[in-house]
Amino acid sequence: MRPQHWLYTIPLRLRSLVRRRHVERELNEELQFHIEQKIAEGIAHGLSPKEARHAAMRAMDGLELRKEEMRDMRRIRWFTDFLDDARYAIRSLRRTSGLSAFVVITLALGIGMTSGTFSMVDALIFRPYPVPHASSVLTLASTTHDSNLDNFSYREYLDIRDKTSSYEGVIANADMEAVGFSAAEPGATPRVRGGMMVSGNYFHVLGVEPRLGRGFREDEDQVPGRDAVVVLGPAFWKHEFAGDPAVLGRTVRLNGTEFTVIGVAPDTFPGLMIFGSPDFYMPLAMARVFSTNLQKNFFEDRDDRELSVRARLKPGTTLEQARNELVVLAKNFESEYPKVNRSRGAAVYTQFEARTREDLNWKFGVIFVILALAVLLVACTNVAGLLLSRARARTREIAVRLAIGAGRFRLIRLLLTESLILASLGGLVGIAIGYGVVEWFQSFQNVVFMTDLPFSIPFRMDTRVLLASLALSALSALLCGLAPALQSTRLDLVNALKSADVDVPGRKRLWGRNVLVVAQVSASLMLLTASFLMVRAFQNTLREGTSFAKDHLLMASFDPRLVQYNAAQTQQFYKLLAERVRKAPGVESEALTQNIPLGLDGFDAITFVPEGFQMPRERENFNSTMDIVDEGYFLTMGIPVLHGRGFLASDTADAPLVAVVNEQFAKHYWRGVDAVGKHIRLENGAGRLVEILGVAETIKYQSIFQKPIDFLYMPLAQHPVARMTLMLRSSGDPLQLVQPVRDVVRDLDRNLPMLHTMVYKDFYMNQAVNGPRIAMKLVACMGLVGLVLAIAGLYGLVAYNVSRRTREIGIRIALGAASSDVLRLVMGKGFVLVGIGTIIGLAMGFGLEQLMNSMLFNAGGVDIVAYVIVVPLLFLVTMLAAYVPARRAARIAPTQALRYE
Amino acid sequence: MTKPSDLVQGTLDLLLLKILALEPRNGWAISQRLKQISGDVLQVSDGSLYPALHKLEQEGWITAEWKLSENNRRAKFYSLTSLGRRHLEREAANWSRLSSAISHVVQLEEA
Repeated sequence: MRPQHWLYTIPLRLRSLVRRRHVERELNEELQFHIEQKIAEGIAHGLSPKEARHAAMRAMDGLELRKEEMRDMRRIRWFTDFLDDARYAIRSLRRTSGLSAFVVITLALGIGMTSGTFSMVDALIFRPYPVPHASSVLTLASTTHDSNLDNFSYREYLDIRDKTSSYEGVIANADMEAVGFSAAEPGATPRVRGGMMVSGNYFHVLGVEPRLGRGFREDEDQVPGRDAVVVLGPAFWKHEFAGDPAVLGRTVRLNGTEFTVIGVAPDTFPGLMIFGSPDFYMPLAMARVFSTNLQKNFFEDRDDRELSVRARLKPGTTLEQARNELVVLAKNFESEYPKVNRSRGAAVYTQFEARTREDLNWKFGVIFVILALAVLLVACTNVAGLLLSRARARTREIAVRLAIGAGRFRLIRLLLTESLILASLGGLVGIAIGYGVVEWFQSFQNVVFMTDLPFSIPFRMDTRVLLASLALSALSALLCGLAPALQSTRLDLVNALKSADVDVPGRKRLWGRNVLVVAQVSASLMLLTASFLMVRAFQNTLREGTSFAKDHLLMASFDPRLVQYNAAQTQQFYKLLAERVRKAPGVESEALTQNIPLGLDGFDAITFVPEGFQMPRERENFNSTMDIVDEGYFLTMGIPVLHGRGFLASDTADAPLVAVVNEQFAKHYWRGVDAVGKHIRLENGAGRLVEILGVAETIKYQSIFQKPIDFLYMPLAQHPVARMTLMLRSSGDPLQLVQPVRDVVRDLDRNLPMLHTMVYKDFYMNQAVNGPRIAMKLVACMGLVGLVLAIAGLYGLVAYNVSRRTREIGIRIALGAASSDVLRLVMGKGFVLVGIGTIIGLAMGFGLEQLMNSMLFNAGGVDIVAYVIVVPLLFLVTMLAAYVPARRAARIAPTQALRYE
Repeated sequence: MTKPSDLVQGTLDLLLLKILALEPRNGWAISQRLKQISGDVLQVSDGSLYPALHKLEQEGWITAEWKLSENNRRAKFYSLTSLGRRHLEREAANWSRLSSAISHVVQLEEA
């Protein structure tokens, strides 16, 4: 019955809504017809026309009231009221257009910043995987004492895949890495692109349907090295092959090996990475073509952990069950393979859990959101204060409305509509600002990621972010408008009608405004100190520098696998390269290193047991970050070797194994004793013995904000590596060295490409400095905006409060108070409020600082300077804001003040 | 004469629906017809008629159409919808049950 009912009534409602005037006119016409008929009947019964008319009109008793009833019946009352309120609100806002504009801009700034930071947090934490049923895709990780989210090895992955029953499918992928790509004939110089090795069931389990061709088959990932197939990423396909469907079946060369293109991933699947999208995907079985580590066997060594593992939960299985199952499996690994799995557990994480353990970026995102919300809070308190003052000025009008029968709720609705309109406008402009912020972030993509690999900044104004921003606007409207609306409708009608400006009697009078002042002070204080701290900490860190010499350094990377060198050829190449380049003109010294400091590629890690160190009971070994370097490294990079020596040509493959550690490492394991001459064993207590030759100064390795970490260096001669970076120190401009180096390389092999050739200083500036600098700019911007808003708002609020008391001040003076007494009274009040706000603000700022310290930065206590500057500033503003009107009030002749309205 | 304000609103709806069931009419014609059929016993005041018609229209029981009346003036003619017809049947049944119950009680012999 009901749906049919609606079929009739909905068109009616719509019609009432949309063509209201027409409907009203129709009603009048109908009534007119009726009256005329009645008059005709009256005349027919012998009445005069005038009498007949009177009779007809009288019969239509209470017509207007009836009309009102009928309007109610149309049940669109709430909406028409809203439209009326809105029209009224717009009119009154237009009358004070300056104030309204200020309010809208204030709100827009707050909402804009917040939605911009929402987009960050969305990309870093909340955005679901771009696959169907993303919530059932879980992350499986290996856990150790040092890490909650470690990778698995190939064998471990196979065991997990085959020995668990909680999942519909278990997939694995390696990190995206640099791959030499060429589509043309064998001779062409390959370019570096980003490829990702994935398991055969990757696309199938994720539910990704390729746009062209097909994904991998399970059997294509079975036999190592057999199936050289590749699936292209959608952006790469468009860019490289111009979206040509004939790419299917074509042969391309990856790291010099021929691969066949069998499919193209759809546009809807840019991959599961946060900061980028792979150019193409290869099966894990082809790992030998891509693996960086010549010493470990990817397929056999259970401790070559390069794979991230994910799995789709089987419907009907709970997360708990999956977790327990994996923990049991990890225990089995431990007992079956004690050498490599001792003290290693395993865990299952949801996407949210995985993201918040992954790295620190998300914490940054959260801090930004908190700061942005503080700006919004300041903006809202500003607006609330302004609305309160406006409401005060309309006291008489509101009193009249109340007196003639408007319900209090109806009036509150009216006032709320006003703030809703302000907030909507502010929200729209704010979202536009948010887009701007996101665009601004995106514009730095090439600056932050100075690399050939397809990294990108993923911040976008998704639907989720948009909805959140809109909800925030609505909330702000409520926040700003509710207090003034409530307070200004609670009137003593008689008094209100008598004079235009009367305070609500009772203690509650100033409560609202006082809260606003306190809220303003605390929010802006937290904002200011937090941004101050961050910016100062950043500058300090920059000033500290990296502790190695960054100038006059040229770098270039090589990967001889691109031209299919084997291990022996690779070693030979690097030996010759180093020898010849050393003799080139302008070269002061050369170095070869596996990874550069502050580079995008992470350093490898090494497992070891330090000699003579008391091992804690639950630990079998320790981990440290490491690098493989040649003899010229420490000299070229300007890293002082404090004790012992660096590597020499005599540290060859036949000589005893040696290593150099950094100060942090030495302090960690051999505190107070000279580390030179000590030993470590690789892997575990029975592993190969390595002697410590020297102790180098600790530098910044992975990021300039990082706290000092342990670091170990090993010589290239004893640990051959395929991909190395050449570092050259020049006497003059490093760019002068490019051509000589190219000549040397061309002599050795004309087909071998030089990758990432650039001046290290440029790389450092972009990579390590500019990225965080952008973030700091944003923080400083937020701080500044907050400060300006706070000062304006605070001044306005306090000055207004005080000017309200003009009459009171006049009375006090008339009764004999000295103007200094009055000033003290008024400013004392201000002091108290700012004091309370300061305490709250300091507490919040302190909490925020703890959060920041827990991540990085100068982990030293509290930065006093920030507080020393900001707190007095706020006090000063408040005092001034209280002083000026108070003084003016004290000066006015008491008789005038008493008349003041 | 029964004062129209004594009539329960629902009963008025019932009467109006029934009249429209017989033939589509405009507001004036409806009030005339009602007077006529009931022998002047039932009269609806003009002020109550139109709100009642309006309500019936909003509920979807009657629908309206602007046509020319007998004297060539534009008037709004109402007619029953199928929804309204069903409602009329239900209400008429209720009314018989109610009125016969009342009659039954009222006609009881006093002891």
